[in-house]
Order: sequence, then C-alpha cells, then structure tokens
Amino acid sequence: MSEVKTVENMVSITIDGTTYQAKEGEYILNAARANDVFIPAICYLTRCSPTLACRLCLVEADGKQVYACNAKVKDGMEITVDTPNILEERRAIMEVYDVNHPLQCGVCDKSGECELQNYTLELAVDSQSYAIQDTKREVKNWSTVLHYDAALCIVCERCTTVCKDMIGDAAISTTKRGGEPLDKAYKETMPKDAYAMWNKLQKSIIAPSNGTDYTNCSDCGECTAVCPVGALTGRDFVYSSNAWELERVPATCAHCSSGCQIYYEKKHTSVFDRSEKIYRVTNEWNYVSLCGAGRYGYDFENRVESKDEAAFNAAVEAFKKAETIRFNSVITNEEALMLQTLKEKMGVKLVNPDARAFQKFLDAYAKAAGQSLYSYDFKEVMATDFVISVGASLRNDNPNARYAFNNIQKMNKGAGLYFHPVGDTLVPTFGKNVELFTHKVGLEEAALYLVLDLFADKEKLPEDVKSYLDSFKTTATKTVKEKVMKNVTETVIDEETGEEKQVTKKVPEMVEKEVTVEKNALVEMLGKESDAFDATFEKMMKKKESFSMIVGEDLYFHDRYENIAKLIALIEQTTPIRVAMIPPKTNSLGVALICDLDDEATGYTVGYNENGNFRLSALGNGDLDMPAMNQQEGTLTNMHKRVTPTNAALEYNGYELNDLMKVLVGAPDLTVDWTEKLPVSKGFKTAKFDDLPNGYLNDGTENRGYALENLSCEAEAINVEKIGENSVLEGEIVYRCNPQRQFNDFTDKAHEIFEGFGLYASPAKAEALGKKVEIDFGDRSITVDVIEDDRMEGDITALADFKSEADVYSLFGPSRYRKVTIRKV
Amino acid sequence: MEVVSYRSVETFVQHIPEVTALGVWIKAIIILAVISAIAGFGTYVERKVLAFMQRRLGPMHVGPYGLLQIIADGIKLFTKEDIVPQNANKFIFMVAPVITAATAFIALAAVPVFPDFTIPEWIPVIGGTFVPSIAADLNIGILFVLGMMAAGLYGPLLAGMAQANKWGLIGAARTAVQFLSYEVVTGLSILAPIMIVGSLSFVDFNAAQAGGIANWLVWKQPVAFVLFLIAGFAETNRTPFDLLEHEAEVVSGYATEYSGMRWGMFFIGEYANMITISVIAAVVFLGGYSADGMGWLWIMLKIAFFFMLMLWVRAAWPHVRPDQLMWLCWKVLMPIAVINVVITGIVMMV
Amino acid sequence: MGLEQFKNRNVGQQEYVMLDLEHTPQSPIGKFKQVVKRTFKPELFVGLGVTMREMINALFRGQMHTIKYPFEKLPISPRYRAIHEMLRLLESGHYRCIGCGLCEKICISNCITMDTRYDENQRKEVSEYTINFGRCIFCGYCAEVCPELAIVHGQRYETASEQRASFSLFEDMLTPIDKLNLQQEYDGFGAVTPNADENIKKTPLAY
Ligand code: SF4
Ligand code: SF4
Ligand code: SF4
Ligand code: SF4
Ligand code: SF4
Ligand code: FES
Repeated sequence: MSEVKTVENMVSITIDGTTYQAKEGEYILNAARANDVFIPAICYLTRCSPTLACRLCLVEADGKQVYACNAKVKDGMEITVDTPNILEERRAIMEVYDVNHPLQCGVCDKSGECELQNYTLELAVDSQSYAIQDTKREVKNWSTVLHYDAALCIVCERCTTVCKDMIGDAAISTTKRGGEPLDKAYKETMPKDAYAMWNKLQKSIIAPSNGTDYTNCSDCGECTAVCPVGALTGRDFVYSSNAWELERVPATCAHCSSGCQIYYEKKHTSVFDRSEKIYRVTNEWNYVSLCGAGRYGYDFENRVESKDEAAFNAAVEAFKKAETIRFNSVITNEEALMLQTLKEKMGVKLVNPDARAFQKFLDAYAKAAGQSLYSYDFKEVMATDFVISVGASLRNDNPNARYAFNNIQKMNKGAGLYFHPVGDTLVPTFGKNVELFTHKVGLEEAALYLVLDLFADKEKLPEDVKSYLDSFKTTATKTVKEKVMKNVTETVIDEETGEEKQVTKKVPEMVEKEVTVEKNALVEMLGKESDAFDATFEKMMKKKESFSMIVGEDLYFHDRYENIAKLIALIEQTTPIRVAMIPPKTNSLGVALICDLDDEATGYTVGYNENGNFRLSALGNGDLDMPAMNQQEGTLTNMHKRVTPTNAALEYNGYELNDLMKVLVGAPDLTVDWTEKLPVSKGFKTAKFDDLPNGYLNDGTENRGYALENLSCEAEAINVEKIGENSVLEGEIVYRCNPQRQFNDFTDKAHEIFEGFGLYASPAKAEALGKKVEIDFGDRSITVDVIEDDRMEGDITALADFKSEADVYSLFGPSRYRKVTIRKV
Repeated sequence: MEVVSYRSVETFVQHIPEVTALGVWIKAIIILAVISAIAGFGTYVERKVLAFMQRRLGPMHVGPYGLLQIIADGIKLFTKEDIVPQNANKFIFMVAPVITAATAFIALAAVPVFPDFTIPEWIPVIGGTFVPSIAADLNIGILFVLGMMAAGLYGPLLAGMAQANKWGLIGAARTAVQFLSYEVVTGLSILAPIMIVGSLSFVDFNAAQAGGIANWLVWKQPVAFVLFLIAGFAETNRTPFDLLEHEAEVVSGYATEYSGMRWGMFFIGEYANMITISVIAAVVFLGGYSADGMGWLWIMLKIAFFFMLMLWVRAAWPHVRPDQLMWLCWKVLMPIAVINVVITGIVMMV
Repeated sequence: MGLEQFKNRNVGQQEYVMLDLEHTPQSPIGKFKQVVKRTFKPELFVGLGVTMREMINALFRGQMHTIKYPFEKLPISPRYRAIHEMLRLLESGHYRCIGCGLCEKICISNCITMDTRYDENQRKEVSEYTINFGRCIFCGYCAEVCPELAIVHGQRYETASEQRASFSLFEDMLTPIDKLNLQQEYDGFGAVTPNADENIKKTPLAY
C-alpha cells in the first residue's frame, strides 16, 4: 500500500525556526522539498541513491553538518540551511564548478534551464579564487541518440545514477579524466567539502561503462533528462532550439500502458515554415522516468491540411454498412467510449485482440479475487522489497515495470524472481538478489504454484492445493557449510576525497552444519537446481517486509488464462504478495473496461489504425485521416490504474472520430465532452476533462487525472486446476514481442527510433538463422529480417508486432508463443 | 477709359507728345500683363523673403532657385477643380473674386506706373506711339484709386456672404468693418498732402515734388505718411491686419470655400492692391518718378521698398485682434489724422 | 544625478523666472499713457531688426538651416537606432552571431526569429535570421543584450516601405564579406563601456 500520511509515521522537524511535518525515515532534502523549503542541491535524484557528488546540500542538523540528501529526518530535528561555514562551502563549491567551465552559455542547449547557471547566480558567484590547468575533453556521440560534451560535464553523476538505479542499464559510469592534480596549497586554504568535491571532479569524467566509445544501452535518454548542464543532450536536439523558446504541452505518453507524464516541447519549424513542430519530449525526471519510445518517439503526428469531405462521407457510409470495427489500444478512453456507443446504437462488433485478451483475464481475476482491478499500482510495487515477475518480457513489454523491478533491487536492498521462457542478460544485472527462471514455454502455472509454495500461509491454502504442492516435495539430509558474518570496525582513508572514515566491515566465518533439505520438483521443473535455489532464496528473503508481483501479457494470451487468473487471486489471498498487471498495449485497460469486445471480426470491417475494408488512420495512410495522439485531447487509462489527461501539442485540421459520431448517432461538441460519461460502474469518475490536473506535487505525489476505483464484486470460491502440462511448447518457438523502444506504428514513424521490424534473436541464434528468414506458422508464413539482440539468450526468437500492416496478431492467434518452422531465405 | 483727358503741366508741357488711344491701350495691356506677372512674382518673392528671414531656403525645386514655382502654382490654380458649394448663392459666389481682381486693376488705371516712353519708330504698326506713364490721368486720380479700392471690398464681402459658410460669414463681417474703417483713415491721412499740393492728380503730386529728395512730401507730412502706411496695410489685408482670412481663427475667412482660379483671383487682387498702395505711397510721399535718365529705376526701387516692407512686417510681427484693430483705427489713427489735417490747414493759412 | 532629483518629474521647475508684469491700467489716462508708451517704444522695430539680421545671417553668413534632405543628409549620432546590421569578426570574416537567441528572447515586439543547427564543425550555426521591420520598434534591446556585439543598429534610418510587413534576412543585414574592411566598430547602443575593465573581476589562470 502506498505510504499513507497518517499521524503515526509523520515526525516534526524544524527548519530555520519553522516547524514542518515530515515522513519518518525520509531524507532531509526530500522533507524540505515536500514542504517547499529550498535547500541547494545538484546531484541528488529523488528515487535514486544519494551520491554525495556535489555536496551543495550541506545543512546543519542538531548542530552537526550533514548532507541533506543523505541524512534522514528524526523527530524534533533542528535544521539550519545556511550557517556562515556552510555558505562559505557552497560558495567555494560553485566557484570550483565554474573553474574552466567553458564560457559558452551563448550556444549551450541548457542555457536558460541550466542548474549550473542557476546556482552560480543563486549563490552570487561573481569572482573566482581557484585555478587549474584545463584538460582537453572531447565531444562524443555515445549512441544514436546520446550526445556528450565532456567539457560541460560537472560530474554530478546524476546520469550514471539514474542509469543504474532507475533504468537498470548501468551503461555509463565515471572514469579517469587524466586532469592535473590539485595544487597542494588548496588543501589547507579551501573549505573542506569544496576541496574534496574538486579533488574528485578533477579526476573523473563520464564514459560508457563497457569500455568502448558507445553505450549499447536501452537508449532511453533519461540520462540526458537528468543532466543539470548541457553536457548530455539528445543528438537530434543539439543546437536546434533554446530552451525558453519551446512551449511545453503537458501530455501523457501514448506508446505503452505506463502512460508516463510527458511534456511535448514545441515551436515553429523554421523561419519560413511557421507550422509548429515538436522539438523534444521532457519529463518530471524526479518522479517519472521515460523510455526511449516516449522520449524520442514524438514526431508521429498526422499532418492534415484540410477537411476531406468526400472521404468523410465515404466514412459515414462505411460505418453504416460496417459489421465490425477493428481497432487497437492506441486510443483514448473517449474514443473507446464512442466506439462502445456505436456498438450499443448500431450493433457493430468491436474487435481488439490485445484488449480482449486482457479483458477476459481481468474478468476471470475479478471473479476470483472479488475486486474489479488488480491490487497494486507500480508505484506501490516500487515501494516493496521483494518483487516477482511472471509472464512479462520485462525489458520489452513495459519499461516502467522494468524500472520498478530494478529500482527495488537498488534502492530497497530488494530481491527479485523473474520467470520467463526467453533468457535475458540484463535482468540478472539489476541486483545480486535477482534469480532468473528461464522455464519452458507454457509453464507459467508452475511458476505461480512455486510462488504459492514459497510464500503462502499454508493454513490459508485449500487442502487440494496444499497436497498438490506437497506432492512436489522430497526430502534428504546433507552437510553444508554456512557462513556467519562478524562485524569488524576499522579506520580507512578515502582515496578520492582524502577524508578519514570509520568503516564497519563484515568478515565471514565458516561453520559446518547438518541440515535436512527438501527437494522441490517445481523448481526443477522451472529449470533450476532445487537445493541451490533454496539456499539463495533463504538469502533473498532476509529482512524482506513487503512483496509484489508483476504479471504480463504472456498470461493473458495463455490458453489456461482462467486458471492462471485464479491462481493469482489465490496468491493474493494466501500470501503477502500483491499483484500489478501490465496491460498489453497503451490503453488496453481503458478499452477493456469501457468496451464490450468481440472475439471475431465478420463481414464489412472498418479499421481504426488497423486493417479493414475502410480504414480510419492517424498514420496518414488510410481512407480517412484521424488525429494522432499528439494532436488530440483525451484521457488514457494507464497501468497505474489512473485516468490521465493528454493534450494536443500540434494542430490538426481534419475530421475526428467525434465528427463521425455526430453524424452517425449524435454526439456532444467536443471529444473531451465524453470524459465525464466514462462508465462509473467500471471505476471511472464523472470528472470533466478540464478539471483533470496533470503534474506532480513537490513531494512527488502524482497529481494527474484521477485513480480508478477498485470496485469490489462478488467473489467466487477459487478452484484452481493443476498445472496444464499440455500447454508446454517445445521445438522452434517464436515469441510475439517488440524490441525496446518500439510499441506500435507510431513509434515506428518517429525518426529517432531506429529499431526495425523483424525477428529478434540472441547472438548465437541470429548467427544460426542468417540474414533473412521465412517463418512458417502452418497456415500462413511471413518473411522477415533477422535482427540480433545481444540481451536475449536461448533459442526462442521474438517477432515484433508493432507494424499493424504485417498483422502479426492474427498470425499468433490467441497465444504469444507459436511453434513454427523457420527457413532461411 | 475711352475718354482720355490731358492736362498740361507747365514744367513739362513742351516735352509731352500727344496721348493717343492706341498708347492708352498699350499702357493698359502693359499694366495688366506686368502687374499680373509682378503679382505672381510677388508670391515667389514673398515666400523667398519669408524663408530667408527664417533662415530657410524657400522654394528651390521648380526651376533654378525655384523660380518656376509661380508657373507650377499657376498650373495648379488653373487646373484645380472649381468647387461651388451646394448652398452658396452661385452667381454671387462666382462673381465675387472677379470684383476683387477687376477693381484692383481698374484702380491701377489712374496710377502712374513707369515713366512715359515712345515706342521706337522701327517697330511696325505701333512704332512711334507715345505710351503715357498713366493710363488715365484723371484729375481726381487719387479719389478714383481710393474709391476703386474701396469698391474692391465688395469682393471679400460678397464672397464671404455668398458661400454659406460660418467662417466665410465671419470673414465677410470682418471685411466690412476693417475696410470701411480704414478707408476713413486713408482718406484723412492723404488729405493733408492733397491740401499742400492742391490737386488730386498723381501727375501734379509728382510735379510738386520734383527737384530732389528734399522736396519729398514725406518730410512735410511724416504723420500722414505713417498713417497712410498703416491704413494701407489694413486696406490690403496684410499682416498685422490679416484678420479677414486669418487661418488660426477663421480657417480662411471669406476665402474658405474657394478653390482653383477663383481663389487665385483674390490672391492676384491682393497683390495688385499691394502694388497700388506701394505706388501711391511712392508717388504721394516719396517723390514719385522723374522722367529723366534713371527715374524709372528710382520709382521701381521705391515701390519695391514698400512691397518689401510689407513682407518684412509679415515676417516680424504678430497680428492683432479685431477689437484692437478697431480700437486703433477709431481711437488712435482717426483722431491723429484729423489733428494732422487741422494743423496742416493752420500752417497753410499762416 | 541623485535618486531624489531623478524622481522629480517636474524637471523644468528650477528654470522658471517670474516676470514682473505691469498691471493693466484702469484709468483712461493710464490707458492712454500705456498706448503712448507702447507706440514710441522701439519694440516693433527690434522685431524687424531681428528678422532682417537673420536674413543676412542666412544669406551671407552661411547660417542657412535647410538641409536639402534626400540630396543632403545630416550625420547621425552613433547612438541612433536605425536598421540593424550584423557584424563579422574582423580577423576571420565569420559572422559574429553565435545564435544564442538572447536578442530573440528580449525583443519586446517579438520580431526576431532565427534557426540554428549543429553544423559539421560541431558548432552552432545560425542558418537563418530575420527581423520583421514591420514590427520592430527600434528599441535597441537586441543590440544591448547581444553578448557578441554581433547585432548593432546601423545608420540606415529610411525605413519607409511599400509593404507593412517588410522583413530582413540574415544576408541583408550582414556586412558583405568584400566590405569587411569598411566595417565600423560600433560605439553606440550596447557597446562595451569605455571603463568596462574596471568593472569586471578577472579569473585566475593556472597557465
Ligand atoms: S552547461 Fe550551463 S553553465 Fe555550462 S555552458 Fe551550458 S548553460 Fe552555460
Ligand atoms: S540512454 Fe538510458 S540506458 Fe542509455 S545510458 Fe542513458 S540512461 Fe542509461
Ligand atoms: S553528464 Fe551531466 S548528469 Fe552526467 S555527470 Fe556530467 S553533468 Fe552530471
Ligand atoms: S530594436 Fe527592439 S523591437 Fe527591434 S528587433 Fe531589436 S529588440 Fe526587437
Ligand atoms: S544576441 Fe547576438 S549573438 Fe545572440 S543570437 Fe542575437 S545576434 Fe546572435
Ligand atoms: S545533493 Fe546532496 S551531495 Fe549533491
């Protein structure tokens, strides 16, 4: 559960004489920010670990100088933000940051929103007391999107921190700069912290951590977002506009179900072309992290100059004779409601495979669990310290689910279990307590049973389940050596900063022990050594208090989805684990709640951004143009069970779905007039669009739209079935899965997203397959390029589904995995 | 004008050939042509002089030093639309400017302009014709001129009343009071010299002052001279007495609704009057012309001096209010003129 | 000027001189005296004298005021704010503008627009720059704010145009490369103050 602000976990602190309330265990800096108190700070990132790189956040707490980003509040703490000594330190720190910093604000992309500029002014640095010889630092392009100007870098380590603690790639890190050593005299004359900061700054610089010149990372661009100066920028954005010229349009990213808060930043295209263009996407990086699709996939607008009346009339005719409307989940709640209205009034069928699968799964879950929605949102997941992922290709399906999984490992000293048939080399690097189960396709039920076995309160379990679980167990005795940790304290000198520190080390001691070991056939079934796992699991469980589980699309497209949904409900009932689900596409959750979907398309079909006899398309290639997501207003329901508003960033002059509705069945004036009509029976609220906020509060509270209500319903008794061994697939298997940064036709249209359509395979498999292959699905086949994904492992290949033209959904039918024959072409 | 009378003047009688009708015609044409030209040229001179006095250049662009500006203005005046206001009394409106111009030129008939001369014999047809200095040497020349100029007031008066315009009407009213009152002063001021000379003919005046600067009447009648000058300014409607059409007060007074050549005729009349007054002043007070050698040049210089004086005054002085104007006329000038006449009479009798 | 004087909007006050005017006479004899006095005072002739003097000054002493404008032009102050010019670096001939966008930002009539891009030499290139002179109010802020002394006000003050929205492109304002030697350093609006050196603190250099 999210941390509720109850009186119990609030403490009172005093900052500069004023008393404030703060959450217990919070860092002083965050507590101050939540209360709108300003403490200078550069290097700290909310949700990431403090790095103490800048040391600007010095404050005096109860008479001692501490770093506000690293010291936790205590009840009754007295904090002074500025003391003469601290002011001297800060001033010296800012002077040091300005030493040899190129005087190029005039051209710098960050100018105007640069934290170095701001703090230099804020701390009134108008003279320089320090000097050192400069080192030549090169400008580098780290990837297709990253541009690093080392000369501007102040080595605050925000980029490396966010990459490690949030994103999980840890693709960049500090390395040696090869700068001159500091003049010894400074050590005596300079303020202590400033000297330590400078000592470190002068030695380091940022570089890709793989030792090459290229990052080979997820290209999420989050590092460019957090960079306080102009050092890290998007390659496409470099020198193209000044920050202050851009108009920010708050919106919701419409690429995946995470529905992140973003700002489209736009201005006119050029001196001669006054039509507006989006130059970049920014975010509130302290509270939300984007993926590469959100950050770089912004130019997918459908430029339509005028209303095409002939096409509109044809569309009206098409709708009148249509038997089916096929659409996908890149659609707002309002439009989904319009389609549902069409169904009610005109009797058309609504076909949307991804939302349909999720809808059925959600229904099954609701019946078993007695609530209409899953229990946790991903923020709550992020606050837990043990996370399990089942049935989601974490790296590809949903970046924010992956960030949460990673963040738990990094920030909460957490542990994680990852069940997936496709091997992954990135997930294990998230933390040392991450265990990967690369199981056979179809064994998701076994994974859930294992979770039950590991976490369930056996008393609560139904008898049959208990005995079924026991049936996997065998026992044996064994002598093991066990490590016991002993604490030893010693004094060391920190090399980088030259400070003395007391360090407590743990020294292991070996003790022999005789134990009874249980062998669990479930573990073996999922592809792991049972006793080895038992030992690791015991370690993983140390000091864990809260548990969460992420479930993904594999389960909704499983042929035994009903049983799986029940198992999940059972897990929630009998274990402390709470579940969060990843809706398969952008607004699958919204569509699943709003629309009454059908399984099969029949007769004359109107396709909305999908194939059909008559095509409405926001991609510009259909029979009637529709506005793309960055050209329309509306709300999206994201995986955090939130209805969030998005705004039109760019102009659109053509017809909208609402115009069709007006002619067909009658409709209100504006698309957003539908917002208040969203079904309350499904958890929506009768809120007006214009009243929906879209931002974050200073303490990180997500103040966007509203949260869906999780309605309780009648719960049926849970009757779970045994593992369906028949679902297991073996042989040549293709997995329907998009590469990172690709979600749909719109991301594909964006010019800064380069991941192609094709068959993704691990390096070994790609080599075996060659350049191009024909995948034979039995009834149909498709010929695609083979693309190597060096983070995949194993033999299963992944076929992208983002191109609606290729109709990959129908190739796979009701499953995400298919047994196929692959032939080289 | 057909009737040409010739009065012999003892001193010159033997030199003066007979005045023929042809000679008078030629003189009339010369006066018309030259005075109109001078009036036109006068506008140019006025602009230039005013400009110089304000350290400006004045017209510079049409012709050398802007000399052809008058032609440009002429073309403009002739080609401009002749607007007659809807509610105006059309006939009177159209006739009024003609009255001003015509009376101004008629007055000039009795004024000696340029000395006499005989057209050289070698010129065919008119060769040998004697052209007199004066078109009609009436024995009541001065009265005739003053009378004509007084009749000229009908021009502005009718114009102002005919045009159905308030400014015009005010202009007309001012015309009546200003011209009529100053006519009195002019007459009275010139009465004293007339008493001394004992004639109303310009020729007699001229003859009476012959024999050098010392004989000029201005020395005998300085008060009359000053009064006549002041009254002349008022008669010709010049600053500081340009109340009839003072644009800061009454837009353009009686000329408000006029345009094109009709307006131009007022203008020509005004300049012809200026010349007339200059000539009278020159002849009556400054010794007039002498027939010998450079005589013509002297009279020209004298006229030019008075003309110039009018421009100069315009550049330097502000104009007065109507009430001040009337006050000056009836309470100052008229009594002085009467006293002057009386004193002159007494002196003559003694 | 102290702040106090600066705040005093009634700037002419100190210059006033009270004239000792006579009172209008009430009695007829007084009035008569006034008339006589005025009549014989040479004031009117002083007026005539002044105008004559000025005419002589103008004609013979070369004190004519008139400037025959399109043929003759007065030199204008370097601080006059006329049509902008974009200057070049004297050494390299490269345009000085770095595309910082400050002029665009500060322009109160919003008439400057520019396009910039990342060029082949890893520099910021100003690919297009325009000022809409239909909107410019010649306030000089752009010249004042420019850190590079790149945009300045030139001497071309004839800004009449046939179109309301006339605007100039970069090339129109840029010193032609062949006229680089004629480029004048700008000492008007926005130029560095002569005592600039006294007002800055110097940065220590280690080498
Ligand atoms: S990083 Fe900041 S301080 Fe440095 S040049 Fe850019 S805007 Fe200026
Ligand atoms: S783009 Fe994303 S993954 Fe790559 S280095 Fe930056 S933060 Fe890390
Ligand atoms: S690149 Fe930016 S975020 Fe990274 S260390 Fe340098 S200044 Fe900090
Ligand atoms: S002079 Fe003023 S209005 Fe004109 S471009 Fe410069 S800043 Fe803008
Ligand atoms: S302020 Fe100067 S350097 Fe900056 S963009 Fe304008 S002209 Fe160029
Ligand atoms: S913010 Fe605390 S050390 Fe940088």
